[in-house]
Amino acid sequence: MRHRSLQAIAGLTLFAGGIAFSAAAETVKGDPAKAVPLVERLCMACHGQDGNSLIPSFPKLAGQHPEYLLHEMQEYKTKHRDNEMMSPVVLELSATDMANLAVYFAAQKPVPGTPSEPGLLALGKKIYLDGNSESGLPSCDGCHEENGKGSARFPRIAGQNPEYTMEQFHLYATGKRKFGKKVMVTVAERITEQEAKAVAEYIASMP
Amino acid sequence: MKPTLIFLALASMAGLSAAAEIAQPHAAGIEAKNYLWNKPNKTLTRALKQKADPEKGKIAYEECRGCHKADASGRPDAGYPQLAGQHTEVLIKQMLDTRSGRRDNPRMHPFIAADAIPTRSIPDVAAYLHGLPVPDTNHKGDGKNLDHGKALYDKDCGKCHGAAGEGNGKEFHPKVASQHYPYLYRESMDIRDGQRRNADTKMVKILKSYSDEDVAAVSDYMSRLPPVM
Repeated sequence: MRHRSLQAIAGLTLFAGGIAFSAAAETVKGDPAKAVPLVERLCMACHGQDGNSLIPSFPKLAGQHPEYLLHEMQEYKTKHRDNEMMSPVVLELSATDMANLAVYFAAQKPVPGTPSEPGLLALGKKIYLDGNSESGLPSCDGCHEENGKGSARFPRIAGQNPEYTMEQFHLYATGKRKFGKKVMVTVAERITEQEAKAVAEYIASMP
Repeated sequence: MKPTLIFLALASMAGLSAAAEIAQPHAAGIEAKNYLWNKPNKTLTRALKQKADPEKGKIAYEECRGCHKADASGRPDAGYPQLAGQHTEVLIKQMLDTRSGRRDNPRMHPFIAADAIPTRSIPDVAAYLHGLPVPDTNHKGDGKNLDHGKALYDKDCGKCHGAAGEGNGKEFHPKVASQHYPYLYRESMDIRDGQRRNADTKMVKILKSYSDEDVAAVSDYMSRLPPVM
């Protein structure tokens, strides 16, 4: 697979909505050491210094693919993604800052979550690996891999905070994350509230 | 978003969604006067000519794996066909027909729509799938009427789909050997009953004389033909 530097962030804006960062596996070039002051000033209060956010509604970033981190920061900057906490923070980041932050959080060690409703894990695992053939819900492992670690094309979801996962399902289902993967819009439309909760719990339990 | 849709979605309590899924478009098919099932339009012609890259196709196929599975063996319980080893021409045509709405499949449509997969990736995906080994673990019928199934197949089907069920890519005739029985049965019934709007008109005529039992017998026979690469 061909690797290409993504330092020319301007190029990112050429990516169109749902097909964004899907074209090929890219490698983000950045300096994690230069990200440290930014992390301390802007990120750690919500996401934790090592990217393992302890606040359930904020996503864990540790071990996330740098391509995804960089892309999502860019999405906030272009207002494709909107969040009252994130949007103002990203505004003050330069292209280089974002690349540095992406490689910083990608290099942190992810800590698995603790499921709050262990009774839902069995259903969550079934949905994750099998989907629902009645409703046409695809399984999650198709894109996010069986271990939830994702790839350069699809985010890591293993260990993610369930509250954050649920919020994303709702944003996709209500058209508020419409610049994300179109496939996820369909997934969110087909998954039931109970299935979503269960799969969010299962994802949280993944190492 | 239309308030009526919000109301309907909430009323049905199905899914998380307040928005209805984007409907599959409708393209003219078998019901149209001058319908020619295998006449390629501009998009299909271009896709067939494109130099396909199976390595790129492997990556683009990732979005399909949630239903058709990593080995492209499909899912018999959900009626998702086995795609491994299928002819590239067949795969490209069916993907494009589903995208344009000439083949009705609202369940698959969001995953093959232009905003989910670029057109240039379709031949790549087809090339990748064509190169995969055909699993023989497919779902078969009850095996009770195989002699009858074979007789029907040899009389009516083999000429196009091949004696061994190998199909013919250039003619858009799919490989049917080792396909899932529930898929073969459902599609044959849909073709017979005019529900498969991108069907070969010759095949519709042949199947018109088939009873449900005939369709079951021939589908079972096809599902048991050994994998052909």
